[in-house]
Amino acid sequence: MGGTVPISTLHAAATAAVPGKYLIFRLGAACYGVSVLSVREIIRLCPVTPVANMPAHVRGVINLRGRIIPLVDLRTRFRLPVAADDDRTCVVVAQVPSADGGLRPYGVVVDGVEEVASFTRDTLEPVPDFGGAIDARFLTGMAKTPTGVVTLIDLDAIAATEHDPGGAEPSMGADA
Amino acid sequence: MNRDDANAAAHALLSRIGLEVAFIGPDASAGTATLASLLDELAGAVASAPAAIVSQVDAAREWLGIGTGADELVVRFGTWHPWMEEAVTAWERGQPLPVAPVWASSVPASATPSARAADPTAARPQDDHAPPAPGRRLAWDDPAMHQDVAVLPDGMDLELVTLFCAEAEELLRDVEQGVLVLERQPDDADTIATVFRAFHTLKGNAAVMKMVVLQGLAHEVESLLDAARRGTMRLDRRAVDVILAGADVFSRFVAEAARQADGRDVGRTIPLPVQGVIDAVHAVLAAPVAGPVAAAAESGDERRDRAPLAPPAAEHAAIPAPPAAPPAPGPTAQDDVPVGDVRSGAVPPPVARPDAAATRAPSGGLVRVDTRKLDALVDLVGELVIAESMVVQGTERSRSGDDHLSRSLARLHGITADLQRTAMTLRMVPIRATFQKMSRLVRDASTQLGKRIRLVLEGEETELDRTVVEEIGDPLVHMIRNAIDHGIEGPDGRLAAGKEPEGTVTLRAYHRGGHVVIEIADDGRGLDPARIRARAVERGLVAADAVLEDHAAFDLIFAPGFSTAETITDLSGRGVGMDVARRNIERIRGTIRIDSRPGLGTTFTVAIPLTLAIIEGLLVAVGDQRYVIPTLAVCESFRPAAGAVSLVHGRGEVVSVRGRLVPVLRLARHFGVSGGVSEPTEGILVAVEVGSEMRCLLVDALVGKQEVVIKGLGETFAGRAGFAGAAILGDGRVGLILDPAALVRRRSQSTETAA
Repeated sequence: MGGTVPISTLHAAATAAVPGKYLIFRLGAACYGVSVLSVREIIRLCPVTPVANMPAHVRGVINLRGRIIPLVDLRTRFRLPVAADDDRTCVVVAQVPSADGGLRPYGVVVDGVEEVASFTRDTLEPVPDFGGAIDARFLTGMAKTPTGVVTLIDLDAIAATEHDPGGAEPSMGADA
Repeated sequence: MNRDDANAAAHALLSRIGLEVAFIGPDASAGTATLASLLDELAGAVASAPAAIVSQVDAAREWLGIGTGADELVVRFGTWHPWMEEAVTAWERGQPLPVAPVWASSVPASATPSARAADPTAARPQDDHAPPAPGRRLAWDDPAMHQDVAVLPDGMDLELVTLFCAEAEELLRDVEQGVLVLERQPDDADTIATVFRAFHTLKGNAAVMKMVVLQGLAHEVESLLDAARRGTMRLDRRAVDVILAGADVFSRFVAEAARQADGRDVGRTIPLPVQGVIDAVHAVLAAPVAGPVAAAAESGDERRDRAPLAPPAAEHAAIPAPPAAPPAPGPTAQDDVPVGDVRSGAVPPPVARPDAAATRAPSGGLVRVDTRKLDALVDLVGELVIAESMVVQGTERSRSGDDHLSRSLARLHGITADLQRTAMTLRMVPIRATFQKMSRLVRDASTQLGKRIRLVLEGEETELDRTVVEEIGDPLVHMIRNAIDHGIEGPDGRLAAGKEPEGTVTLRAYHRGGHVVIEIADDGRGLDPARIRARAVERGLVAADAVLEDHAAFDLIFAPGFSTAETITDLSGRGVGMDVARRNIERIRGTIRIDSRPGLGTTFTVAIPLTLAIIEGLLVAVGDQRYVIPTLAVCESFRPAAGAVSLVHGRGEVVSVRGRLVPVLRLARHFGVSGGVSEPTEGILVAVEVGSEMRCLLVDALVGKQEVVIKGLGETFAGRAGFAGAAILGDGRVGLILDPAALVRRRSQSTETAA
């Protein structure tokens, strides 16, 4: 069934952030967080084999101890300015739901991993309404830390929609 | 389910139903248990369809439910199936349905269950039922002769039932195969003995399982075979028909028992013509064709052998060893039955399996193994091969001068290679069982169509991977039916063409270069490229002015909806077969090619990799990337001379290969890889062939040839990237495995749209 999904449906689909432990990583200057339950391991950036004819955010595949896993660039997926990899760039190997009801590995490139933090209900807030200025499809909430804010994301939703044509501009008149 | 899923399910079920109906033979009603369950599923799938469709499905279920005869079923399904296909498609598109067929309820229903089943576990003869006169062919498919039979004995361990069914299926296959031999050579003592032993074993097993009805039936058929074995009578067509009918009753019983042991429709009875077959046996025995040994007085001992059944208890404590002749290793039948997987050590006592295994001395004994353990082992061996090659490559530099290390690694490599070869063979089974199913199909179909056809089987012992065997059955059936329906002419046509009135279909299997090759050849009328082309134009598959070479015309047979049959012969003329067949073959990474000569015959050649997990690949360099091209698809590779590659019409490049003009595909450009060679004369052209299509892939260099373990790319890339998978190369990098079929086809599409 390809095609764009109405924004309203997506907001309903992305679950709101729950208190718990989150892995904090950087994309550019901003901090993002993902539930540790989704994370299998973190590895250094290794040689990537590109796969042709895929959307721009799919970098290709890597060999993780004999297992082939896809590698996705979140900066491209979120339409953030592109930057070169450096020696702090690494890969978060996550696990997301697979079509047969199990889990499959999913690698995302990040600009650096900061820490694992625990967020309680007080520190969590829903995503503010920016009036359509940002694409909030995969954001599940915001967390307040002493040093700033962390944007929490839903990797399951990101993986589930990987075949969508990138992040469409959030349109007010959603397609049916 | 939503409408699209329901539609897809309905189409898939209709396809399988078509296949099942193809197996309904004219002389015996076989296989209707599977058909019935498919129709049940179909009823579920079309639950939300227009009423006309639902009522047609119900009608079909009713025909089976009341035990309609085989001939009648074939005729009815011949109209029902095409209508259903059209109707489901119309439903899918929201178009009006075609006019529905109307069925006369002319098939006499059998008596109601309550009247017949006084004792549900035994078939009782009807009082008003006198044994039919000998010589009249008994219509045991006449529903009036059916009794309702309960299938699962009370309190029987379901796992035992499943084991019984699996073994019974093997024995019944032996019976069928033996009977087909006996039809042509009724005096073949070995085959008679084999079939006799099969029924004898079936009788014993049925007794242990307390399946009294089967036991009685087996006893009767066994006595028929016993007479033949002792030479007091000869197996003529009647006798053969009876034996087959008995085997078919067994098959239906066993199929139903397997279903109920699996938890479906537990407790239901099915109508079976048990008494009809038993009467037929008596009729044949009463008026036998004299055998080589005069039917003089039987000795007293022999009479004792044919005494009424002794009570089952004592004499059947152990199952007699199955016949040793056809090896048919355990894994073939057993592994598909999940309940039947025997964890090592948990052998059910009464069935005495170890004894049976031990008596198969020639093959060294057999062991049942959980298939999941087997798969895990094979996977691990695959990993070991990769790890070993990484060690070898990684130590290459530090090894120079260290003889000891080099020798040790060489020895390690040898052992790993042997281990890999052995592991691959663990999952291999002979293609024999699949080929033998075809014998029955040919026999029944040729009788049905009034043609005389002989099936020759070669290379039955050729082994292939378990999973491949499962997938190859359907495509083979389609191709053989194609050969029978359209290839082989009727006897008159053949005589007029100066051929023998009996046509020959040859099924041949052999290994060649790491692959299994299966040929389906007929000596029929061959394919006429002009007629195919005309039909394709008519169907809108090809432009009217398109120029097609013969091999491209042959390829059109695989296009969906294509058929050159003028009269639609029940199912094969529907054109639903060949495109599905090719898709199934490509799904197991096989290729299919057609060769044909008008008037002389047609040959389909299917080539399949020996295992799905490991392929032999040609490693090529394109820019800084490495790709693997399955050698199965590679014809040759060469460095083109200057000027060999020509530019056509400003955008396409072609090169001449073996006298054909072949399009060139620059992989660097196709995959967006930078740094590849720009001049073909600096690189290498690899000619790949898929079916009758060929392409030349331009690469920088050939790196080597090696076996690689195929790893899936995963859902992210499923069906989108055009690669067959990925392999871990010796240096740890990932080499994408090209899918030649996708490359050839996608390219053709893009050139068409670009034109």
